[in-house]
Formats: sequence, structure tokens, C-alpha cells
Amino acid sequence: MRFFDSHVHMVSRTTDDYQRMAAAGVAAIIEPSFWQGQPRTEVGTFKDYFNTLIGFERFRASQFGIQHYCTIGLNPKEANNEKLAEQVMELMPLYICKEGVVGIGEIGYDDQTPAEEKYLQLQAQMALEADLPIQIHTPHRDKKTGTIRTMDVLEDVGVSPDKVIIDHNNEETVRDVLDRGYWAAFTIYPHTKLGNERMFEIMKDYGAERIVVDSAADWGISDPLAVPKTAALLNERGISVEEIEQVTYHNPLKAYGQSGQVEENDWEGIEGIDPTALFEGNTLLRGGMDIETAMSQYLIE
Amino acid sequence: MMLEKLISILEKSAAAEAVSWLRETVASQRAEFQQRPFYYAFSGVSRHFDKKAGIEPTTDDLAELEKEIAGFTVKHWDEFRLARVILLIVLGEQEKSTFQETLDALLNTADLREQTAIFSAYPLLPHQEDLIESAIDGLRTNIVDIYDAIALDNPFPSQHFSDEAWNQMVLKALFIDRPLYRIYGIDYRANLPLAEAMSNLAHERWAAGRWVSPELWRSCANFLTEQIVEDVARVADTEEPGQKEAAALIVANDDEGKLDHIRDKVKTFLDDVADSRLTWNSLGEQL
Repeated sequence: MRFFDSHVHMVSRTTDDYQRMAAAGVAAIIEPSFWQGQPRTEVGTFKDYFNTLIGFERFRASQFGIQHYCTIGLNPKEANNEKLAEQVMELMPLYICKEGVVGIGEIGYDDQTPAEEKYLQLQAQMALEADLPIQIHTPHRDKKTGTIRTMDVLEDVGVSPDKVIIDHNNEETVRDVLDRGYWAAFTIYPHTKLGNERMFEIMKDYGAERIVVDSAADWGISDPLAVPKTAALLNERGISVEEIEQVTYHNPLKAYGQSGQVEENDWEGIEGIDPTALFEGNTLLRGGMDIETAMSQYLIE
Repeated sequence: MMLEKLISILEKSAAAEAVSWLRETVASQRAEFQQRPFYYAFSGVSRHFDKKAGIEPTTDDLAELEKEIAGFTVKHWDEFRLARVILLIVLGEQEKSTFQETLDALLNTADLREQTAIFSAYPLLPHQEDLIESAIDGLRTNIVDIYDAIALDNPFPSQHFSDEAWNQMVLKALFIDRPLYRIYGIDYRANLPLAEAMSNLAHERWAAGRWVSPELWRSCANFLTEQIVEDVARVADTEEPGQKEAAALIVANDDEGKLDHIRDKVKTFLDDVADSRLTWNSLGEQL
């Protein structure tokens, strides 16, 4: 089975991760622009970060046979540094129409401050102007209110819900998001966000339509194999292969494909997705754990 | 004129809608230059043209371009590169400060294919003396496509680089296995320090038991120092594709008789050189 992980921060991951992802069938990924843990103090570091996303990281992924796309945006945390935020907004037009940029993101609320709202609006307008999908980060604290407020803001600006992927949903937010016509993404992230057994329960209730599963693996304790592992768990629990493929591959492709910057054709026939071709004669994991062992522990709590 | 000519080449193979989008963009930016829409257009070429499509210039097209600017060619370009170069010509028509500021911003934020387009456009842009530093800096890349855009099939370096910068570029070509025959001005810009550096590089490789490209000797042909004369004798004895041919090309070029003692070793190739069946370019193409 092939997977499309539409949310993963590869700048924080190692080549071991890339090898395991390729071996587990991850064909393509989207790296959203985000906060890097350490707050930035200069606009130049944003520029170099964006350059990394469209440059070196894309190249690094390609060496493992993985197609790398990105979204460009000012994240909500750093939107609160207004002086910096203004400069980032001036920088963004240089990036958003580039090849392989599949949306504006990840943007949204963190603390739900007025500054965050201002830059959410401005970036939503920019997405309209460039006719791009939007990738929404929903806040960890007061998530339900923040999610609904995000959708209100987007609708005020005039963005069409089918061009928006709302991420980090849970049992509390999914109903509103789907009812209002958005794509609902779920981040399978150990301990702090959502385990994959909960994902199974959600799919039992809501099916697969407009549902997306991603890993959001980053610099924290997270799992770059979350998408293939969740597929394995869903399969074991009896979700149909067709529905699994929808949430782990076809839906994110359709949602972000609206940018015109990602299509299945991009990775058809690329060598390296077949791990035996890329890593011939080598064990897959330098860390010692082979892919069977890694994938056998597919429950994420 | 150049811009029209390039659009007509693009038109031969690119989708009609894409070309008409480009024409409209050129017209509106010429009427009133606006930076943000220009950014969108420059990167947005990827939203209109076919990312996998090359262009199809005719031999006549290439001859016409070469006549306009010696050494300039679009032979190996794709649609993205040509469309972006056309937009950069329009940028070049703007006031100097706008041109420089915008070009700077584009280069600083360019992805790989945008960078190749920017460097490929250099021979067509104004204020070229201000572009030299960025071209030299661009060559420090590890990415072959970017190196190629500056060093290969581009008349800009031969016209503007100092000997030091030129020599670094040519030496690097050998380090990253790029074809020297595609460096425009390779013979005209040859110089003694480069010839000596080339010879030293060959010695280093021989010491390591590694292969030496026959093309390396091209820059040595007019600088037959004692060491290089010995080198050519060694090359003439090397049984690898292209080595004796390279020696023959140098021998044929030697009108001071410094290499007469090895003439016999390469004589089978000297006839080919005499009737131009063997040239440095044909040798480079073969390799």
C-alpha cells in the first residue's frame, strides 16, 4: 500500500526516518511551515527556512524516493511577534506560487489572540489571491472554540471550505468541521494528540469521506510511521482497504491537488519507493530495527 | 528582437493557453511593472507550463540566437526555464534600482529551477558587471543543475570572469565531471596558471590511480611547459578511450616542434585532426 502523509516536519527528522518511511510505503509527504521550537528573531531565518523547504529538504527526500511538497505560512505562535510577522508577510509572496508549494499553512490559532486572528485573515486572503488550499493548525488549548472560530474567520474572508484542510481534529471537533464542508485531518501523535485506536472509532462513526490521517511528526516524541501504522491497525480492526486508502492517500491528494502542484504522476515509476531497489543488500535501518519490527508495533497510544 | 524570438520558440511546443498567459503577463508588466504580481508570475510559471516538457528550437532558431549573442543558446532548456527567462528580460527593462532589488529578492528565494533560469538569463540582462559576484557565488553550489546553468552553454563567464574565477570554474568542472566542451570560451580563456593547475590535477589523479578526463588537456594545448610536454607523452601512451586522441590534438596544434618526439605514437589520429573529423568538441561529445 502507498501512503501520502500530508503533515510531517522532516527538517526535524533523520535519514533513518526517511529510510523507514520509504520502506513502509510512504510515497509523498507535505511539510508545513511551522514554528521550530526555538522562536525566530529575524526575518532572514524565515527566508532560509522557506528556502530549506523548497530546496534542501526536497532534495533530501528525493534521495529516498519520497516526493516532498510543502505549505508556506506564518504560524500562529510567531504571529504574535508583530514586527517580525509583518516582514514574513512581505516575504511570503515570493514563495507561495512556487513549484511544489501546495498551500498556505499551517496557519490558524494558538493562544487565540487578536494578532493571530489578523494574520489568519491576511493569509487567508493571500490564499484566495493565489488560488491555493489552506492547511489549518487548530489550537491545543480550547480546541473546539478555536476550531469554530477559525472556520468563521475563513468564511468571512470568502474562502471555500472545500479548499481548506483543518488539522489536529478530535472527537469533539470532527462533526462541525465535516458538517461545514471542510476536509478533516487527524494527527496520529503519541500521548498528546490522538492515538490510532481512537482514529478507528472515529472512522466507525464518520466513514472515510473528507477524512485525512497524518503524522505531524516533528522534533517532539512523534512517529513518522504513524500513517502506515494506523493503516495497519485499521486493517486489523476491519476497516475496508478502500476506506483506508482513501484517508491515507487519495483524500489528501485530492485536497492538496487543488493547488495543481501535486499529482500521482509525480511519483509513478520513481525508483526507491520499492525499498529493495533503493537499499539493495543493506539492512533498512541503521538503528538496528528492521521495518518488520518497526511496523509490528503499530498501536500508537 | 530577443524577447519576441524567445516567445516564438516557446510557442512551437508549449500549450497555447500557457503562452497566451505569458504574453499577457509580459504586456501588463511592461505597461506597469508591479513587483508582487511579478513574483507570482515568475514562480507561477510552474502553474501554467508543463513541468516535464523541454522546448524544441530548430537549428535556424539556434543560429539566430547565436548571431544575436555569441555563445548564447537555449538548446538544453525546458519550458519553465525559457518562460522565466522571458519574464526576466521584462524585468531588465525596468529602472536600475527596481531591476536590482527584484532580481536580488528572486535569487535569494529561488528554488532550484528558478535559479537555473536566473543564471541562464544573465547574458540577456542589463548591468552585467553587477551580476558577476552572484554568478561566482552560484558556482560554489553542490547542485549540478545550477553549476551547469552558469558554466555550460553560457557566454557570461567568458565575457566577465577574472582569470582566477574562470580557472576555478573550469577546474571544478573536472571535479564534478562536467563536459568542458560545453564551456563557452574554453579555448579563448585558456591561460598559463590554468594549464599548470590542470597538469597538477592530472598528477594528483595519476598518483591516486584515478582516471583523468582527456578533456583536461584542452586548456593546456597552448602552454607546453616542460611538465606538460612530459604529460602529453604519458597521455599518448594511455590505452583508454579518448586519451591518444587528446594527445593527437595537442601534437597537431604544436608548431614549435616541442612534441615531435611523440608524433609517431598518435599518428593514426593526426589525419582525423587535419580534416576536422577529430576536434576537442567531437572528443568531448564522445566521452
